[in-house]
Amino acid sequence: MMTPSKRGRILHLQRLSTEDGPGIRTTVFFKGCPLRCVWCHNPESISPRVEIQWYAVRCLNCRTCIRVCPQQGLEMTADGLRIDRKRCRGCGTCAEACPSNAVEVLGRDVTVEEVLEELLKDRVYYETSGGGVTLSGGEPTMQADFALGLMRALQEANIHTALDTCGLCLDATLEILLPFTDLVLYDLKLIDDEAHQYFTGQSNRRILENLIHLRNWIDTHSHAPKLWIRTPLIPNATATDENVYSIGNFLARNLNGYVTRWELCAFNNLCRDKYTRLNRDWQYAEQPLLSSDELAHLEDVAKSSGVDATIVQTSGATRLQEETWSR
Amino acid sequence: MTATTVEKPRYQIKAPKNLSPRIQWLRDYYFRGVQRAWNNEYTAWTTGTPWDFQYNELNFYIVPETYTFFQTFRSSYCQMAHPVALHPDFWRWSLPERRAWFNREVMVRYLPKEILPGDLLAGARFNVQTSACLNKREAKERDRMVMGRGGVREAVFWFHNHGYGNAGATGGHLIPDYARVIREGWKGIYEELQRIYERLSAQEKRGRKGAQLRAMMIAATMPRDLAAEYSRECERLAQEESDPTRRWELLQMAKNLQRVPWEPAQTFWQAVQALWLTHMLVMADENYPGPGDSFGRVDQYLFPLWERSLSEGMDREFGKEILKCFWVHCNTAYDGMIRTGGNQGITAGFGQLITLSGMGPGGQDMTNDLTYAILEVIDEMTPILEPKPNVRLHRGTPEALLDKVVDMIASSQGAPFLLNFDERSMAGLILQAKKSGVEHLINESNVFDYAPVGCLENTMVGNDRSGTVDANLNLLKAVELALTGGYDLIPFTDPMTGKTEKPKRWGEDTGDARRFQTFEEFWEAYATQTRHIVKRIVDLYERSEEVRARFAPTPYLSCLVKGCTEKGLDITQGGAELGYVTIEAVTFATTVDSLLAIKYLVFDKKICTMEQLIQALRDNWVGHEVLQAQAIHKAPKYGRDDDEADEMGLRVMKLWTEETWKYKTRCTGRQFRPGMLSWNYWVSDGFILPASPDGRPKGRFLSNALCPSNGADIKGPTANVNSVGKVLGGKAAEGKGDWAEYFNLLPNGGSHTMTFSPSLLRDPEHRAKFKAFLRGYVENGGTALQINLIDADMLRDAQRHPENYRHLLVRVTGYNAYFTSIGKELQDEIIAREAHRI
Repeated sequence: MMTPSKRGRILHLQRLSTEDGPGIRTTVFFKGCPLRCVWCHNPESISPRVEIQWYAVRCLNCRTCIRVCPQQGLEMTADGLRIDRKRCRGCGTCAEACPSNAVEVLGRDVTVEEVLEELLKDRVYYETSGGGVTLSGGEPTMQADFALGLMRALQEANIHTALDTCGLCLDATLEILLPFTDLVLYDLKLIDDEAHQYFTGQSNRRILENLIHLRNWIDTHSHAPKLWIRTPLIPNATATDENVYSIGNFLARNLNGYVTRWELCAFNNLCRDKYTRLNRDWQYAEQPLLSSDELAHLEDVAKSSGVDATIVQTSGATRLQEETWSR
Repeated sequence: MTATTVEKPRYQIKAPKNLSPRIQWLRDYYFRGVQRAWNNEYTAWTTGTPWDFQYNELNFYIVPETYTFFQTFRSSYCQMAHPVALHPDFWRWSLPERRAWFNREVMVRYLPKEILPGDLLAGARFNVQTSACLNKREAKERDRMVMGRGGVREAVFWFHNHGYGNAGATGGHLIPDYARVIREGWKGIYEELQRIYERLSAQEKRGRKGAQLRAMMIAATMPRDLAAEYSRECERLAQEESDPTRRWELLQMAKNLQRVPWEPAQTFWQAVQALWLTHMLVMADENYPGPGDSFGRVDQYLFPLWERSLSEGMDREFGKEILKCFWVHCNTAYDGMIRTGGNQGITAGFGQLITLSGMGPGGQDMTNDLTYAILEVIDEMTPILEPKPNVRLHRGTPEALLDKVVDMIASSQGAPFLLNFDERSMAGLILQAKKSGVEHLINESNVFDYAPVGCLENTMVGNDRSGTVDANLNLLKAVELALTGGYDLIPFTDPMTGKTEKPKRWGEDTGDARRFQTFEEFWEAYATQTRHIVKRIVDLYERSEEVRARFAPTPYLSCLVKGCTEKGLDITQGGAELGYVTIEAVTFATTVDSLLAIKYLVFDKKICTMEQLIQALRDNWVGHEVLQAQAIHKAPKYGRDDDEADEMGLRVMKLWTEETWKYKTRCTGRQFRPGMLSWNYWVSDGFILPASPDGRPKGRFLSNALCPSNGADIKGPTANVNSVGKVLGGKAAEGKGDWAEYFNLLPNGGSHTMTFSPSLLRDPEHRAKFKAFLRGYVENGGTALQINLIDADMLRDAQRHPENYRHLLVRVTGYNAYFTSIGKELQDEIIAREAHRI
């Protein structure tokens, strides 16, 4: 069956990804997200627009980028390269011309075929590990056609697919993708809606509804995906006893037996430089990491919340990955 | 599960564990180094003639750091040499007989015989510098060939100074037929020599062949006579011993030594005793302790006696205790120059390799209980350097072995062993058989019995000398010569005299590169210069091979290598059944990336002209920083799983390997074969070779063996691995490869090092992923993999506080080194290497 030659906008592919589902995977980072989580570890994935960023340490100060910018949107200042983000159209001329890759384009438009070719290069490792491909971001459901084309092509190639979603999308979108999904990685950040709105800019109503919808879908389909829940542990936001307990309680009440893993992902500050490069402030810049005691405590809270304790896992490396690989 | 926290102490260096008081004492004693009352430092021995010498500089032509010390070493050993009372007929004998007799005399009658407290194995002193045993005429001729005007030494220095690399006939680096000694005893070897000698005609007996066989017979009695001496010492100690257990041990050792290594071993203890004594005498025979004298598949040939002794009541832990004593003995090889430098003679340049597990007939896995016992010994003894283990993996490797391997990697600072990959390795050896016409000696029925020597160099066992470190060639030199039409880009300046050489066309005249219109024209020039540099190293090697063949026989070692007895020919003269000289190519990725950069910058994107590029290189990129950045960041690179770039890699690989197969040594008939080891030359020669088109300035490191250039592998470990597999020839798309569907253009194998963050092994789930990565490596990767599991912060800390990290081991292209014992440049380089975080 032919796959639709739909173009999608992605940030990059991370090969040998070990934190986004079972086995060895390649994670496809989609660009664009409906949430605005204040702690976001992938700020470059939030805007659906193509953006540019600048690495001070790589810059030769040759000013090639400034010369070639068709928008005259760049300027070298004492604080480094100033990017006029209002003027920037993301044409990438500067990045193409930059001799040292100090200026980089965030976001490129690719076809399913192009991405697939790259993804297939690690087929051997997927096979030896029971891994596959994870669509993440950003938010893959924001580019549902492309995500669908990609997942369908992957399934045809007999490759395990995982959909990493924040859950904020139309239930219809979810339904289109689920037949081609082997695993859903579903983010549950905060149970309290007010807090959710405060920290992410959006209500969690639809997210919780979609999760119930997903459960019902699993009930009614013989080839249904597995479900993992992921909760980022952000100090003073999500990493409270009350929140973790409430999420667990929600899962116990509504999804008992459906969730095979609930991952508590420890806060990581290694994305600090990403904010700097995007000329954004980050309120967590000075936030220390969770201590192992804090993490262990939250793990205990989760395990005592009524869920099957064996599904609770903690991890601390997810975003550290991202920092190392995005260059 | 743990997460990184700032409160806890961050690092813990692997500590030995589960050591008995005996082994703990021996291990601690060993690490006391110069403070020990006993050591195994060199003693020198002379015939007493004024022209005598001991030091054989040929062994060190491949170690440029030692060039300036040749004369000093030679004189020092001469000065400290003790005279040996010669047999009245000594000077009437042939050279091999003189050598055999002299070495036996020193080992059996002159060197003290000592047993360390608690030691279960005899055989302590073996580091010797013995007389070359040359008569006046021979010594004069040899010295003229080596040190005279236009001699080998001068040619070697020239080759190194001009950035081609180095070459020299070097000792070690083979796997003697130790299995035979255990099976048949030296008696079996001696009787065969005798049989063959007796069959010679009277004329043959008077000739070269007869002399060689007589020499080998003398040598073959050396282990018997030495064992008898040690046996007496054990008995003497037993009489003085008050502790009944130790007394029993000493008496048992005495009994063992009365039997082995002359007779076949009957117990595991005897087998290990026979192995050690036989092995240490190889190092003595060559006056060359350690480097590459390898043991082969110990878990296979010792296994029958392991099983037998277990069934006869040997405690498994006692069996391991014997092995641990063996480990301590192997490390005393380093004592040779124990007073040199701050590390008690411990250097990176050794490598008594043992091979574990791997494939057997029909693809079956050969892992057994002894494999696991030895892994336990390594685990419990680590960190310690010798012997270096190499674990062979393949498609049929059992989960249990992989679990053990990955657990050990996780608990050490880096893998305490090298991993070898059977399918890819065997494909290379089958190719070698075809290329050199020895399919009757290497084929599907025995290729699985191969084993690596030294670091990772694949050879056959017991009949093969492959000269795996003897010729080291900088492929990048051909790029330089192609850019200049055969000249050095920057003429050589002698650092001693300050004189700069007049520009001379040393290479081929391949035309003015500035006039080339297409990349293909440049490629042709590069190909011509590659043929030139291969020819040059072949010619250089020939010269030291000739000196060794004429003047440095090793009759004892010859007894242990099939072919020498049958032919009555010393191993140094090409006696081995399988004789190869391996050209180890250095700078592979730098060369490929340079060609890719030339194509990209000059021809595809026309970012600069050839003239501008050449000027930038002459200026060492100074004033050309933008172009340099484009070369580094914009041009494609090998190691990213980019098919186009990797295709260039394969093209470079095919070219130089094909060229290598065209040659044999003239004086000994050994076939040249290709490999990629590159030891530490990629660091030091970076200061000799000028700037390269890939953006590297002079003084920065070249690429290491098969590895992508530093920092080039930005697509992660799987891409890196896939690229490596592709440039070795990949797999057969349709039909068959040389082994199953595999191809491998490097029968010697290629060193591939990857550094991973410890976080990748932090819990069982991630360890399972790492196991799967290794199984993926079996499918897509190269012949050998070294895993570093180190964190850059830790290394920086070790650099600042070496006193806290004395036992921190790192692996550098095929060998272990104590991090604090290596130079700052190499330390910096290891830190700079991208730590792959999973």
